[in-house]
Amino acid sequence: MDSFPAKIHSGTGRITLTLHSDKATLAELSSTYPLKLLSPYIQRHIAIVYLLTYGGGLVCGNYPPYFLHKTSRTETINAQGTTKVFKTRPGHRLASVLPKPGIESQHISSSKSSQFTSQHLHFRVHPGSSLLLLPDPVTCFRNASYQQIQKFNVEGDGSLVLLDWITPGRISIGEEWAFSRYYSLNEVWHDGKCIAKDVQLLEGSEESDDPASTTRHRIPQRTLQDRLRPYGCYAMIILYGPQVQPILEDLEARYAQETVFKTRTPSELIWSLSPIGALKAGGIVRVAGLEADLVKRWLKGALSGIEAHMVGRDIYRRVFP
Amino acid sequence: MSSTNDNNDTEAYILLTLADSNLPTGAFVASSGLESHVKHGFSSLSSSVEMATVNFVRDSLGSYARTALPFVADAHILVSNYCSAVEQSRLQETGEQMKERTNVLKALTDLDELYHTMTLNHVARRASISQGVALLTLYSKGFARPSSLSAFTATESQGQEDQMKNLLEAFKLKARREEVFGHLPVCWGMLTAALGLNLERAQYLHLFLHCRGLLSASVRLNDLGPYAAQQVLFHAVQPLIATEMDSIKHLRTGLLVDPQTIFDEPSQGPANTWPLGEILAARHDLQHSRIFNS
Repeated sequence: MDSFPAKIHSGTGRITLTLHSDKATLAELSSTYPLKLLSPYIQRHIAIVYLLTYGGGLVCGNYPPYFLHKTSRTETINAQGTTKVFKTRPGHRLASVLPKPGIESQHISSSKSSQFTSQHLHFRVHPGSSLLLLPDPVTCFRNASYQQIQKFNVEGDGSLVLLDWITPGRISIGEEWAFSRYYSLNEVWHDGKCIAKDVQLLEGSEESDDPASTTRHRIPQRTLQDRLRPYGCYAMIILYGPQVQPILEDLEARYAQETVFKTRTPSELIWSLSPIGALKAGGIVRVAGLEADLVKRWLKGALSGIEAHMVGRDIYRRVFP
Repeated sequence: MSSTNDNNDTEAYILLTLADSNLPTGAFVASSGLESHVKHGFSSLSSSVEMATVNFVRDSLGSYARTALPFVADAHILVSNYCSAVEQSRLQETGEQMKERTNVLKALTDLDELYHTMTLNHVARRASISQGVALLTLYSKGFARPSSLSAFTATESQGQEDQMKNLLEAFKLKARREEVFGHLPVCWGMLTAALGLNLERAQYLHLFLHCRGLLSASVRLNDLGPYAAQQVLFHAVQPLIATEMDSIKHLRTGLLVDPQTIFDEPSQGPANTWPLGEILAARHDLQHSRIFNS
C-alpha cells in the first residue's frame, strides 16, 4: 500500500517533503491536469500545500481543500490525489478518473449508468513528522455522487490531524442535502496496524427503479434532510500521535464540562469525543452545527492547540481566519 | 422433502427460542442512543412522540444494519464452513481439525478487530462488547448440550456439536484473556451458525432484535406505552427491516474475499449512514441522569 506508482496519471499528484538542516523542502511537488498543487508557503520546518482542481467542465473548484505538513526532522510525506467533480449527469462523463496500480478506484457497475467523482489521498507520515489535513468542507451539489478515500500511514512517533467535513449544498439556492451519494472513508494506520477506520455514507432516498420492492414493502419517504435535521454541517476530526496530546487534553477538558439535561429542542451545535488507539494515543471528534460558519468558529476555538503547540499563529489564521 | 420440512421446523424452533425476550442478551441495559436522542430534544422534530420513535428506529436501523450486518454475515460464513468441514470429515480431534480451528479463530479475531476499529464511539463499543460476550456465555450456558441431556442427541451429530462448542469456548476464552473484544455482530453470527440457523434468518433476526430492543427502551423511557410499541413493532418495523434486508444482506466486510476477486468497498462494504445518531450515542455518558448503559 505504500508503493506509489512512479508514473503520474491524469488528475494525480505527488508531494514529498524533506528536511534539510531544519528547513523544509518540497523534494517533489507534481500534479497533472486537472489537479493542481500549490505551495505558496514554506517557513522553517513547515510547508503548506494547497490542493485544487479546476477547469475542464468540472463543476467544482469553489472549495479548494488544502493541507499542510510539518516535519520536525528529516522526513518525507507523500500524497496522491485524483480528480474531483461535484456533479453527476447520468450518461455523461465529466472527467475521467483513471484507475491506478496500487491505489485502485474501480466502480463495480450498478444497473444505473451514472458516474461518480472520486478522490483518493494516500499519506505517509514519517517518524517525528506531522501531517495536518485541514480542507474546506466538501459541498455536494444536487444529484452529485462523490467518493473520497483517504489512507494515512503514521510511522513511529509521527502525528496526524485530519479534518473531514460536509455541508448540505448551495443553501443560497435552496439546495439542502439534495445530492445523491456521498461516501467518505478515512483509514488511519500506525506502524502497520489499523487503528481507526471511519466510513460515512450519505445517500438520498432513491426513487426506486425496482417497482417490485416498493409494492412489497410500503414505507413512507424519509429524505436525507429528514435524517440530518436540524443540522447543516457535519465534521469529523481525527487526532493521533504525541504532537496532538496537548490538543486532546484541551478537548477532554472541554468535553468534561458538557452536561446534558433534558431539553425540548436541539441545541445549535453538538459534538462528541471518543478515544482511539491504545493508551489514549488519539481521539475522534464529531461535530454537528446548524451551519458551516458556526462549526468553523467552533473548530477554530477547539483546535486552537494547533496554533499554540504545532504551527503558530500565521499558519493557523490561514486555515481559520 | 420431509428433510426440508424437518429443517424448517428446526429453524423455526431456533428462531422462537432466540427471539425470547427473556434471554439475557443485554437489551435491558442498551438503548443504542435513544435515551440520549430524547434527552437532547430531538423528538420535537417529529409530529408526535410515536413518530419520533418510529423515525429513530428507522434511522438507527439503517445505520446499524449497514455497519453490522456484513460482520454478522462473515462470522456466520466462517463458522458454517467450519461446521460443514467437520461434518464431512467426521473425525475426532485430529491435527488437521486443530489447524482448521486455529485458522477460523484467527479469521474471527480479525473480524472482531475490524469491527472495533470501525466503531469509533466508546459508548457503542462498550455496549457491543458487553452484549457480544453475553451471547457467548448464553451459548455455553444455555445452548450447549449438557451431558445429562446427551440421550437426546443423534449420535452422528454429536461430534459436530462438540466441535462447535469447542470453537465457541475457545473464542470466549480469548475474550476473557482480552485477546479479542467479542463484539455483538461477530458473536451473533457465530452463535446462530453454531445453532444451525441459516444466514438470512440470522441477519433478519438480528435486525428484529435491534428494533425490538429500541422499542422496549422507548417503553422504559415512558415515551411509548406497551400497546403503542407493539403496534409500531407489528406494522412499521416489519417493512423497514424487509427493506433493509433487501439492500444490505449481500454486503460483506471484505476480509474473507479471496484476492482474485474485486471487492468494491464503497458499494459492498460496511458504512455508517447516520452521523447525527453517532454523535448522540457517543454523548450518552454526558447525561446528567440516565437509566440505560448506552
